Amino acid sequence: MTFSLLHATDFADRLLYKIIPPLKAGMIVLADRYAFTAFARDATRGVDRQWVRELYSFAVRPDLSLYFRVPIDVSVDRLLARRVKLKFYEAGMDLGWSANPVESFRLFQGKVLAEYDQIVQEFGMEVIDAVRSITEQQRVVRNVIAQHVQMRRLEISDDEPV
Amino acid sequence: MTSPSDGSSSAPDGANGDGPAGGYYGRGIPYLPIAGYPGKLIAIEGTDGVGRSTQIQLLRAWLEIRGYGVVETGWTRSPLMQPTIEVAKSSNTLNKLTFVLLYATDFADRLEKEIIPALKAGFVVLSDRYIFTALARAGVRGVDRQWLRNLYGFAIAPHMVFYLNIDVKSLLGRVLESRGMDFWESGMDLKHGDDIYDSFRAYQNKLLREYSSMADEFHFRVVDARRPIDRIQDELRKNVAAFLESSEKPAEPALSR
Repeated sequence: MTFSLLHATDFADRLLYKIIPPLKAGMIVLADRYAFTAFARDATRGVDRQWVRELYSFAVRPDLSLYFRVPIDVSVDRLLARRVKLKFYEAGMDLGWSANPVESFRLFQGKVLAEYDQIVQEFGMEVIDAVRSITEQQRVVRNVIAQHVQMRRLEISDDEPV
Repeated sequence: MTSPSDGSSSAPDGANGDGPAGGYYGRGIPYLPIAGYPGKLIAIEGTDGVGRSTQIQLLRAWLEIRGYGVVETGWTRSPLMQPTIEVAKSSNTLNKLTFVLLYATDFADRLEKEIIPALKAGFVVLSDRYIFTALARAGVRGVDRQWLRNLYGFAIAPHMVFYLNIDVKSLLGRVLESRGMDFWESGMDLKHGDDIYDSFRAYQNKLLREYSSMADEFHFRVVDARRPIDRIQDELRKNVAAFLESSEKPAEPALSR
């Protein structure tokens, strides 16, 4: 619970200082992770799913949300290729499922990924296949965003004739 | 941010007075089942400077003499959060939402690490303030009431809630005679003006109204806190004794100490 609430506090702070002001100014805000991360992570730690959703009801609903999906094996391989040590909480070591960080990561993040699959459905997120190359992914992302941003621009120009 | 599909379907399921004493108010903490724990949770509520701590001190000594194990817990006293809350209060970056969430984090920590283990072990837990202080303070600051009640759905409904009731005039005298007025207790963050006296009076007035609006819903036992200390204590002891004796399984007597 404290893990969940501390993250919510941090999120509220960033929302009010870093997200809402630029939105008011008409800027595009790119959020690296959002409330969905909390939904997946906290549920995996045994917090009530509906409670977390209600907790985050103060969050702004994103105009567009992308989910980069990878199988757990790809995720582990990529992390281990770059980093010597997995982070304690990222590996869910606090849950005591395994004393081996890699094994714990696999178990914990495996469950997190399963939560994400539900969340993607529930909130209608755009799924990007993150197994593909960076260039390929970026092409897809640009396509998705281009469609969306153009639509928004038309709406705004209706509201504010110069 | 709730899911777009579920709309207004689900009924409110946060903290409200319907929860059975000793159980979770709302959705609770799924990984910590608490049903059947022998301990008792007694909350002493009331605004700043009303005399809660004095009463709790006396009550604790009296309970221990009678053989009960007693654990005290108080608002913002968690080892995890207290330093953070102090730092946050001293800077100017707190807003009402982060304020509420920091308090809730502190409470969650004390609930998991102090209150629930003590209830499990059969202690009488005396809580100096409870979620009603959080609800009142946030209510005065305009935070959505239903959201707050959902947030505190993980709290446990106390077996007894004593509300030390006082009017602003008596409170003013008492606070000025003892330790003086404090920035937050005077609601200076609400910017009612530069005068701390006026701000204190306006803020505490609103706060008291918030507390009394919860009295019926959450079954407060309202105690007139304008009376002398020992008269108030007598009333608390009479009520607590009656409750502990009437409950089938009284809290287990403390073996040590």
